[in-house]
Amino acid sequence: MKAAIDVLFRRRRKSSETAQDIDEELNFHLELLTQKHLQREMSLTEANDAAAKRFGNVERIKDQCLAIRRRSHPFLVALKSLLILTFLTGIVVRVLSTALNTRRIGDLLIAIPILAGVLLYVRNISPSSFVSNPETALSLRLNENVQPLFTAYDKGMHTPVERLISDK
Amino acid sequence: MQGTLELLILKTLSRDSMHGYGIAQRIHEAVEDLLKVEDGSLYPALYRMEERGWITSDWGLSENNRRAKFYKLTRKGRKQLDSEAANWERVSQAVTRILQTA
Repeated sequence: MKAAIDVLFRRRRKSSETAQDIDEELNFHLELLTQKHLQREMSLTEANDAAAKRFGNVERIKDQCLAIRRRSHPFLVALKSLLILTFLTGIVVRVLSTALNTRRIGDLLIAIPILAGVLLYVRNISPSSFVSNPETALSLRLNENVQPLFTAYDKGMHTPVERLISDK
Repeated sequence: MQGTLELLILKTLSRDSMHGYGIAQRIHEAVEDLLKVEDGSLYPALYRMEERGWITSDWGLSENNRRAKFYKLTRKGRKQLDSEAANWERVSQAVTRILQTA
C-alpha cells in the first residue's frame, strides 16, 4: 500500500515537473523577446505587449505542450503496451482452451483492455486527438502586410523557405 | 502550409543545437518577415518532433547564463530532413512550373 502511494506521489511530482519545465521554457522565450523589444527603446509595457503578440496565446501553447508530454509519458506508453498484451493473451486463451472456465478467463482478458481502451479514448488520451491540430497549422502563414506572394520570390525564383533550405 | 514549420525547424537544427528562442530568431532572420511565424507555435511542434524521435532536448546554460532547454537533431531527424527537403523541392518545382506556364 505504502509503495503504491509512493508511486502515485512520484508520478504526480513528475507530472508537475513537466508543467514547471514548460513554464520555465516559455517564460525564458518571453523574457528574451521582451528584452529585445526593450533594446528598441520601448517602455516595459509596450515591450511586454509586443512580446506577447509575437509569441501568441501562452496558455493555449502550454496546454498543447502538456498534452503532447502526457501522451508520451512512460506510464501511459507502458499501460497501452500492457493492454495490448492482455488483449492478445485473451485471444490466445480463448482460441486454445476447451474448458468453459478457461474460456471465460479469456473473455475477461479480452474485455478488460477493450473497456480500458474506451475509457482512455473517452478521456481524450487517444493519439488521433493530437494529430494535425488546425490551430497550430494556422500559426505559420504568409505575411500579407509586407509583400504580395509573388514578390517573395528572389531573382532565382526561390521562395523564402527554399532559401532557408538551400542556405549552407 | 502544414509540415512546413517542422521542415524549417529541422533545417535550423541541422547546424547546431539551439533553444526555442534561438530557433525562432534564426527562422525570422531567414524568412525576413515574409512569413508570419508565431514564436509560441514552435513549441508544440518541437514537442511533437521530440516525441517522434527527430530531435532530443537537454537543459543547459544559455549565452546569458540562464537555464534553457536545447534541442538537437537526431539521426532519425536528419533522415526526415533529407526526405522532407526533397519532397519540398519536388512540390515547389511543380508549382513554379505551373505558375510559369499557366
